[in-house]
Amino acid sequence: MADSWNTDTGEAVYRSWDAVKNLRVKVRIERVTSSAVLSQHLKQEVLSQQDRGSIELESLTLQCQTGDNEEELELGWQEKLFSEYEMELFKNKAACLTPLDQQYHGEVKALRRAKGRQNQRLFTHTDHDRYTSCLPLHQMQNSSDILTTTKSGPTSLAERMATIRHRWQNRRTKDSSIPKSKIINWEPSEEFVKNSHVVSKAMQTMHIMGDLGPPGRLGHKENEYLLCTIKTDGSGTVVIKPDFNKGREPYRIVTEGEKREVWRLTVENISTAMKPEEKEWEQNTYKNMYVRHKDYLNSLVGQDFEMLPLGILHYFMNGEIVSAQGFEYDNLYINFFMELPNNWSSLPSQSLSRVTQTCQTKTQGKENVAFFSHPFSFEAFYVSEKESEKTVPQWPVLYFKVLSLDSWKRHRTEGCGYVLFPAIPGNHKVTCHTWRPLQMGKVSALRRFFIGGSPELEDHSYVRIPGTFKGERLSRIGFPTETTGSVTFNLNCIQQATSFVDAALSKESRQKGFCQLGECCQQRAVSTILEAFHRARRKMQAARESFHKELNNTTSQLQRSTMKKSRQGSNYNLPFPSNPTLTIL
Amino acid sequence: MAELHVIGQIVGASGFPQNSLFCKWGVHTGGAWRLLSGLKEGQTQVDVPQTGDMAFWSHPIDLHYATKGIQGWPKVHLQVWHQDSFGRCQLFGYGYCHVPSSPGHHRVRCVTWRPLGSWQEQLAQTFVGGGAQLRSPELVYSGADRYRLHTEAMGTVELELGVIMRHFDKYGVES
Repeated sequence: MADSWNTDTGEAVYRSWDAVKNLRVKVRIERVTSSAVLSQHLKQEVLSQQDRGSIELESLTLQCQTGDNEEELELGWQEKLFSEYEMELFKNKAACLTPLDQQYHGEVKALRRAKGRQNQRLFTHTDHDRYTSCLPLHQMQNSSDILTTTKSGPTSLAERMATIRHRWQNRRTKDSSIPKSKIINWEPSEEFVKNSHVVSKAMQTMHIMGDLGPPGRLGHKENEYLLCTIKTDGSGTVVIKPDFNKGREPYRIVTEGEKREVWRLTVENISTAMKPEEKEWEQNTYKNMYVRHKDYLNSLVGQDFEMLPLGILHYFMNGEIVSAQGFEYDNLYINFFMELPNNWSSLPSQSLSRVTQTCQTKTQGKENVAFFSHPFSFEAFYVSEKESEKTVPQWPVLYFKVLSLDSWKRHRTEGCGYVLFPAIPGNHKVTCHTWRPLQMGKVSALRRFFIGGSPELEDHSYVRIPGTFKGERLSRIGFPTETTGSVTFNLNCIQQATSFVDAALSKESRQKGFCQLGECCQQRAVSTILEAFHRARRKMQAARESFHKELNNTTSQLQRSTMKKSRQGSNYNLPFPSNPTLTIL
Repeated sequence: MAELHVIGQIVGASGFPQNSLFCKWGVHTGGAWRLLSGLKEGQTQVDVPQTGDMAFWSHPIDLHYATKGIQGWPKVHLQVWHQDSFGRCQLFGYGYCHVPSSPGHHRVRCVTWRPLGSWQEQLAQTFVGGGAQLRSPELVYSGADRYRLHTEAMGTVELELGVIMRHFDKYGVES
């Protein structure tokens, strides 16, 4: 007998898509007493020997009625069953304090009137009950302590975890609006600290209890034992402790007190399984819902996007002048402009030159840094020429000049430089070192120091290849310069061209997107023909529709006029062609 | 239309003269862009670092845009403020950066500046705080009128932005 107990009283976690209200549990308790064993044993004997010892047997069987020794109940989720104690408690209205108590009072009264209570020993505490939160959850574990020492006190964390109220806590507001008041709890209560310092999930709890008192002495609080705890959260997790028996041996519950009776506990899952057709229907509904949601999102996003004609590259640059560092004087500003090579064009509204603000430097490390954080957007179009298809195009250039301005309004040239716009799309951080033209001799230096001003470049493109340059070798011999600081740019490049679409579709590996600009002509030819065909067809349909409308209008007008003229009502049909075919090119 | 997700956070700021800082931020886009979900502006808490120079906010950014064109690519503008022990707020810097246009994770360092007033104002600022502010923050966006300003370099704001793009390749956009 002692071998056939299930000692695994750990909790089991189930996950389900189903609503928790469909959960049904069957609980069965059975007293294991010497008399029960004896009576069973005797019963067997009686069966074998019908005649002998009938008197003693009768007295024995009367003493322990089977109805009191075992009980079986089917329970739903959060189904409230009253104990004897609660029946007594909620009987008088004076003890009912909360609205829930008063509701229970009504139910108890109804039960008393009906004279029927389906449960004797088994009862439940639901989530809203006042006992649920304060029940020590360790009752079940006491019988199976791991440690041999009898007084193994729980750890402080375990203590804290044990008294968590698994109720409507930590319910976050789902919308994004942050509550303006009470973000911080300045005076946290003890309970608040308990709840927020340890892991706690918002779970609903239900306890299945048993009144395991001796027969005829039910309704005593000290004889109530926790049999089973079921917890759920909103997302379909069901935690049951102990697990469903599933054909294994029953659990053993030993009562306290001098009698130390032993009870058997069996928990079973009797939730009705879903029918296959229901399952299919549900899956279909979900599928439809997802499809509809996807459609909704697509409609929100739409389809149209700005496209360019074939053979044009749309070059887009989101750039910032981040900082300038290492220059001689303070209060720097940068003057910059873009130069577009041949075949490039930009929108007329766009200004191709800018001046930043004047910025006082600060010391960062060993250098003086001026922060500009000056944004600029630059948009240009490149038209590829058929003849020079294979040549690598020239890219726009950004020329800049760093100047300083002091409190006496003296300007000094601090440095010149240029940035070639990156040919590869993406994010680029460019640091550009600069120089300034230097005039030999002390006079120039003194002049720069005292009255500002210094030699300047007449043609800014001299920084790179001068615009007027024609020759084989660029020589700058005899042009003295002085190294000054550096300027940091952050450039985000985007390129757009219709030919990239084909390339992206055919997944061609492309070293430079640009080379392909004029190459996919054959593919393009087919697609342009198709597009033209579609356009023609759309036109035709539109024309047909408008024609129909006009016809309808005219017929209705005609009908109205004829109705007015001849009251006999001889409306005649005009011989219209039923399906007019139009050819529109 | 193409879609763009910007997911990330404003990590924190460093290099400011004092470090009890908070940040107002916003994302500005062109007319072709439409915000499908997410908050495009906000304000962080005040952070007082215990050790080190950097104030950490870890303020979340999560935006979902749909667009008809690439003009007006999203830009982040930042205003860093200092709150002193009396609860007075003082502007510490304007910053400005583009949302990176290539997909992936980006660590963006946005430098900031603040306008400088006349020398009397600067003197007053050193003793009682306060200081000049921009009358219209439009100046921060456009940058065309900036040459009239006289500013001072302030600290750096650090952002972590993850960029996810959808259907841009379908329309021939390489970024």
